Amino acid sequence: MTLERNTLLVALVGALLLPFAVTDQYLLHLAVMALFYVVLATSLNLVVGYVGEFSLGHTAFLGTGAYTAALLSTHAGLPLWITVPVAGLVAAAFGFAIGAITLRLQGPYFVIVTLAFAEVLRLVANNWIAVTNGPMGLAGIGQSGLTDKREFYFVILALAALALYLSYRFVYSNAGRAAVAVRENRYVAQSIGVDPFGAAMQAFVLGAFMAGLAGGFYAHYISFVGPEVFQFAFMATIIIMVLMGGKGTLVGPIVGAVIVTLLEEYLREVQELRLTLFGLIVMAIVLFLPNGLMGFVARRREQHGSTILRNTPAEEKTV
Amino acid sequence: MDLFLQYLANGLVIGAFYALSALGLTLIFGLMRVVNFAHGEFYMLGGVLGWFVTAHLGLNFFLGLALVAATMATLGWLVDRFLIERVRGQGEEPGILLTIGLSIFLVNATLLVVGPAPMKVAGAFAEGPVFIGPIIVTKLRLLAVAVGAAAILAAHLLIRRTRLGRAMRATFQDPMAASLAGIRTKHVYAATFALGCTLAALSGMLLASVYSAQASIGGLVSLKSFVVVILGGMGSFAGAVAGGLLLGIAEAMWGGYVATGMVDVIGFVLVILILLFRPQGIFSARAERA
Amino acid sequence: MHRLVLGSVLMAGVAAAAPAQAQETVRIGLIQPLTGSVAYNGQSVVEGARLAIEEVNAAGGVLGKKIELIIEDGQCKPANSVNAVEKLVQKDKVVGLVGAFCSSATAAIMPVAQKYKIPLVTGVSSKADLTEQGNPYFFRAAETDGLMAKAFAKILAKDLKLGSVAYIGVNDDWGRGGIEEFSRDLSALGVKTVLTEYFDHGTTDFFTLLTKLRAAKPDGVFVAAETQDGSILVKQIRELGITAKVFGVGSWATADFIKLAGDAAEGIHAAVPYASTYEAPRNQAFVKKYEAKYGIKPGKYGAAGYNALNIVAAAIAGAGSTDAEAIRAALQKTRYEAPNGVYQFTGKGQAYGFDAVLVRLEKGEPKVIASAPVEATD
Repeated sequence: MTLERNTLLVALVGALLLPFAVTDQYLLHLAVMALFYVVLATSLNLVVGYVGEFSLGHTAFLGTGAYTAALLSTHAGLPLWITVPVAGLVAAAFGFAIGAITLRLQGPYFVIVTLAFAEVLRLVANNWIAVTNGPMGLAGIGQSGLTDKREFYFVILALAALALYLSYRFVYSNAGRAAVAVRENRYVAQSIGVDPFGAAMQAFVLGAFMAGLAGGFYAHYISFVGPEVFQFAFMATIIIMVLMGGKGTLVGPIVGAVIVTLLEEYLREVQELRLTLFGLIVMAIVLFLPNGLMGFVARRREQHGSTILRNTPAEEKTV
Repeated sequence: MDLFLQYLANGLVIGAFYALSALGLTLIFGLMRVVNFAHGEFYMLGGVLGWFVTAHLGLNFFLGLALVAATMATLGWLVDRFLIERVRGQGEEPGILLTIGLSIFLVNATLLVVGPAPMKVAGAFAEGPVFIGPIIVTKLRLLAVAVGAAAILAAHLLIRRTRLGRAMRATFQDPMAASLAGIRTKHVYAATFALGCTLAALSGMLLASVYSAQASIGGLVSLKSFVVVILGGMGSFAGAVAGGLLLGIAEAMWGGYVATGMVDVIGFVLVILILLFRPQGIFSARAERA
Repeated sequence: MHRLVLGSVLMAGVAAAAPAQAQETVRIGLIQPLTGSVAYNGQSVVEGARLAIEEVNAAGGVLGKKIELIIEDGQCKPANSVNAVEKLVQKDKVVGLVGAFCSSATAAIMPVAQKYKIPLVTGVSSKADLTEQGNPYFFRAAETDGLMAKAFAKILAKDLKLGSVAYIGVNDDWGRGGIEEFSRDLSALGVKTVLTEYFDHGTTDFFTLLTKLRAAKPDGVFVAAETQDGSILVKQIRELGITAKVFGVGSWATADFIKLAGDAAEGIHAAVPYASTYEAPRNQAFVKKYEAKYGIKPGKYGAAGYNALNIVAAAIAGAGSTDAEAIRAALQKTRYEAPNGVYQFTGKGQAYGFDAVLVRLEKGEPKVIASAPVEATD
């Protein structure tokens, strides 16, 4: 617990210093995108890692958040610090509604039903022209006076810190422990009085809230939102991050988000081979690091009793 | 009335195509419980290989179909033995990530090798309309439905009537007991995966002769197939057929009488409703384990 | 430990690829969808672009240096295309950008180009309002649907004797825009609209939609669809025994489309900004070179890539330096002699002056039946 907390704090300090060390706008852009994915991966991790159910519908919340912020900004002209929190709340409301329906299902059924919800929302966004402008999307979303990448960086860093703080509080709360108990053994947990549905619901709504925040930020940063925010491609990227980093740990999704963001960009060097290699790397991770990178590190620590874990994530962050 | 009959006929044909393309997933997802996101890519490879063997090797359609089936069975066997086997029994997640990685790899490797252009697979015979009363279908569509029906029947008989089929059923009911009874479960898993892969590729080649083949079509096929398998009930062939027909007819009626723009939404809404009110699917009588 | 190693390898990579100072070449960045469902069209743009750069370099390049074309995959997605632009501008130090195919992706990269003051030319994105945003660094070297409709609606209505038309389009900005513009202009000519339907990109079966269309008995069917969807659609129109005349917009004047659609392609009309059979000596030379290099004749997108890169290269040469402001000013004064006419830009950055053509597909060849210059609108 303390180890995890200290690691996160060191990472935060490193992340705070980063924009003063890096002036290259491209690297700063990558850092912003990496932190955007940190928020998303952390939010998905609450459901996948702590509730133990595999949601493929997380883009539903990313997308509702993005559309909420985009609509508030383009129609009402509201600034980022209002639209992003509202985006989170709207996504949380969607999370509550969708969770109430889907969390009654488990295993492959849960996987497919969450995916179905995200697809329904995508098709609605694509066809409800009057509100969403359909496939033409919403362009020219205001940037609320943020002109410098560094300012965007601090906004998304604050959101990432908030997401991790909320996750931390959840994981070490009674609800979080209850969720883990359900994940490990549903029946034993029920026998000692844990309500599996309630614990899962809390994690689900919290995850939706954070994904909505990330979506709101995305809308302002990219300045364009279309139905592609609901697409499965986004989902695949987030899953790869969570599982590559190591689900069920707070540090894992951070590591996964940073590495995958850099990997996807770095692989531009190999031109046409880029995605082919990316697919191979994903497969290799599943086969050779079954518990993700953090699982691998944890096992090494057990074997050597060393303190590698303490410092490495901070190193990662100070890209 | 004529219009209604034509919509019904369209729905039945498309439904049969949906059932056909979901058959492989019925085995791999329904029985083996691998949430296989590379299903659409196996389907796509069937079409692309079909183009290669007919356009480049000059084989006739049915000979080509046999060659594609054999190739994809081998590929499926290898994928299971070298990839899927290593994550068996670890829940859904590693399988999902593994097959997502595999699908990214297969799409982009195909893109590198054959390029992004759509490819035409020459059908078994010349295209032409067939009139049944007021209804129009085409010869190739009827052929695809017939071959699909034959494939469904053959797979059904294989599972119900052969030694391998018995071993499969035993393995998926209780792998431990099956291996105690002397069944080499590793081979059974690999054979099932190979069969699923072959069925996906067969449907891919058949339908590429009706439509066309392209490297990027897999994603849509995967999603539709998941819908069909869930609608029909996991692991049931009869269910897959019923699920496919239900989806096909529902889409045709909605498209015909309401609007074609939102037609894809029907499948997902049906999935949500079915899972809420009858999670075992329309056809499967028994409740799911675990 | 492993993680640390992987991490530092990545970092080293990003650092090592940092910009080379004192550039030996002039760099132009090209963002296209190279993977995903529109990769086919994106790759055609790249082919044309490569040919253009080869020619310019063979003739000595610009400013005494060779041009280096750096191609990135934007997948037609806004976020990925922005990533690609950031990389091209910051790491590769490109002096001009071409892209990003889909209007949604182009809309997302336009503010980035403006922020870094890098001129951006698109050879494809047709959404009308892109040039209305007051972005001085954005130029569209392509037709819009409105301009195409204005050029050909009258000819189509008269030649095909259209009394009523059914409209079918792919459900995106381009498909919807095409139907909007053509139905407006055709309606003004007294042609009745009997049906308007959209389908999603990647749809393979149109029988339901076409059954509806058959019942509506239109004289003509207007189709806005690209090669894959379009070829399947026209095939199924004939399979269902619909005899209405098919016309529309899309990259149909290509060998690939004609091969895929087979007999169904016979007699259909396409309004395209470019056809390889367009009669002009400059075009014949272009087609010959293109065919020698790639083994196929250029289509709409191959020509778009070729023209866009030539326009940017000419602007750099005209500017006499790689200064963004000078290139922008030179682009504004563009007078580029393309295979299909002369491209110039309006004050808002919309190209005009080049010829768009109306073709009829006959015996596997796109036969030009009319051509009209795309006119300036402001």
